Amino acid sequence: MNTQDTRAAQLFLTHHDFVKGIALKYAPWPGLVEDISQQVFLEFMGKEDRWDLEKDLRPLLATMTRHVALRLWRDRTRERPEVVQKLADHIRLLAEEHDTPPRYEEEIQRLRTCLAKLPEKSRDLIQLYYYRDISTPVIANQLEMKADTVCRALSRVRDKLRECLQRPHSTGEHAHA
Amino acid sequence: MHDPDVLIQHYLEDCLTADEAAALHDLLLQDRALADRLLSHLNLDAMLRQPQPNAEASTPLLSLLPTEDAPAAPLPRPRRFSFSTLTSVAALAACITLTTTWVLNSFIGDPSDEEDTSAAVAVLARGVGLQWRSQAHATGTPLSPGWLQLESGLAEIEFYNGARVTLQGPADLQLISSKEARCDRGKLSAHVPPQAKGFRIHTPQGTIVDLGTDFGLDLSSPQPQVHVFKGEIELHSADTAMLSLKEGQARALEDVSQSMPADAAAFASLSDLSTRTEETQRLQFEDWLTRSAGQNDDPALLLRLDFQDRSDTRTLRNHAKHAAEIPAASIVGCSWTQGRWPGKRALEFRNISDRVRLSIPGEVAALTLTASIRINSLDRNFNSLFMVEGFQDGAVHWQITREGKLRLGIAGRQEKRNRDYDSPPLFKPELFGQWMHLATVFDPERKAVTHYLNGQVIAIVAMPEPFPLRLSVAELGNWNDTRQAVPIRHFSGALDEFTLHKRALSAQEIAQMCP
Repeated sequence: MNTQDTRAAQLFLTHHDFVKGIALKYAPWPGLVEDISQQVFLEFMGKEDRWDLEKDLRPLLATMTRHVALRLWRDRTRERPEVVQKLADHIRLLAEEHDTPPRYEEEIQRLRTCLAKLPEKSRDLIQLYYYRDISTPVIANQLEMKADTVCRALSRVRDKLRECLQRPHSTGEHAHA
Repeated sequence: MHDPDVLIQHYLEDCLTADEAAALHDLLLQDRALADRLLSHLNLDAMLRQPQPNAEASTPLLSLLPTEDAPAAPLPRPRRFSFSTLTSVAALAACITLTTTWVLNSFIGDPSDEEDTSAAVAVLARGVGLQWRSQAHATGTPLSPGWLQLESGLAEIEFYNGARVTLQGPADLQLISSKEARCDRGKLSAHVPPQAKGFRIHTPQGTIVDLGTDFGLDLSSPQPQVHVFKGEIELHSADTAMLSLKEGQARALEDVSQSMPADAAAFASLSDLSTRTEETQRLQFEDWLTRSAGQNDDPALLLRLDFQDRSDTRTLRNHAKHAAEIPAASIVGCSWTQGRWPGKRALEFRNISDRVRLSIPGEVAALTLTASIRINSLDRNFNSLFMVEGFQDGAVHWQITREGKLRLGIAGRQEKRNRDYDSPPLFKPELFGQWMHLATVFDPERKAVTHYLNGQVIAIVAMPEPFPLRLSVAELGNWNDTRQAVPIRHFSGALDEFTLHKRALSAQEIAQMCP
């Protein structure tokens, strides 16, 4: 590995969240973001000798991410039932039309603070579902409640996290779920 | 009546039913606020799915769960994560080795294409001692328009119109189309059959148009020359009238008044290439015989099939010296064919019944699978390499998906869910027909699954919660689901070596296994 390779990889890493934000805009389907960012990394590194690493890489990464996102989006959705494809197309249109630019990059920096502010049970639910990767039916089974109840609870926790992220940084209030 | 919260959650879990998808679509059309909310949840969902540094260490008491050790219900097969990036510089640096391979650039296509397409105009048919200055190409690679910069070695390039060019490095050849190329440096000889008549090669001194012949072009000597061995060519240059050269004639390109007798011996011929190719392949085969025998002593090696068994036995001997308990494998259906080199034997998998049956008792904490394979096509959604029977309780499924991802699938155990560890979709039609070395390492200490292609890392995928893997009865090239109606997942291609270690091999050890 030469110095240029290392530099390119490090630069990509600093833009990783930016790439994910773009990926979400053009391929708003669960589970696709990681695939896209990995593929963009591979394609970026595959041609790293062509890039001027001294320039701002965002325009380049945005274009690459958009192309990869559209490609993987098409691959992921084209074999789905027609009704799901229609929904997917509609959501993609909504995401592309969304006025606000992707805020993934700045929000992920603040997410941990917001998570820490959640009440314990909400935090536990996030732990079970996201970090321990236990599915909603299994959580429901363990807690002896309906799966739909767990779905609603997760939805409410995300709403609270969203509220927290949208608050000015200095408020320091606790999110409630 | 559908609850929007439940619909959003099912969308995020990618488990919407058709009815729910239609309902969510209707709701989104009516309610813009719900659309904003869904996008917001998707964004948060993606952020929350990011690996959390020290998440386990900082986990508070899970007060929501009952404290007794009641076993969890069987877990549904998830489709939520397929590819989680390790975002450390070290992991990225490990991936970088891939970037020097020739594989990637071929797959950066136009996203608007609906169908797989190829821009190739020629194929690298054979090569001896190839050292490239430009992107490296393996034998059998389709070649798209662009420069081939050969530092040394002999390359035989077959154009799609039938013309065959033998290029001697150092040389620079630009492929323009299936019937046209440009050579700025080096030495080549060309065989142009009647159906390729009109094949042309541009040089800095003029253009050679072939009328169905054999000729040689030497741009490496101080006085560039063209030699006609058979048939006739036309020499076009800006400064002089078109010149016709016939069999046995040669001319200096910068001063066409200088003629000389054609000298076929000054150029590498196809028979030279054949001789050198055979010699190279023989040496590679001998080298493999020597190196591979050394692997058998590894105490962690549970299974090594070299496919050099007699064709009348219908079994494959296990060469692992410290795994006497693992019996020979049984061949079902497959036919014998040639492997990577003349003398190397391989099994061809074509029919849906073709398979090699294995019995590997016990469980392993770590695992390395390697195989030397040639893919004919990826016909099925899942194309089996090594598949444990059924899919439950830590069973291992090593396969290539229809879209070309190398996948290690692990069946969930107890409360742990099923996992797929995928590479990017690398196995595209350009790679079909070529011998490749694949390896996948399941490393519980690093909490990562690493995929390799020809000794180079192609993906490192984070592994959240390692648990022991179950091997037991398994198959190469096929899958027995143990149910009555078995999904068809047979492999279409050939296999000429397979190993299974109960430890995580290092990147260096994987690289050493490649020819």
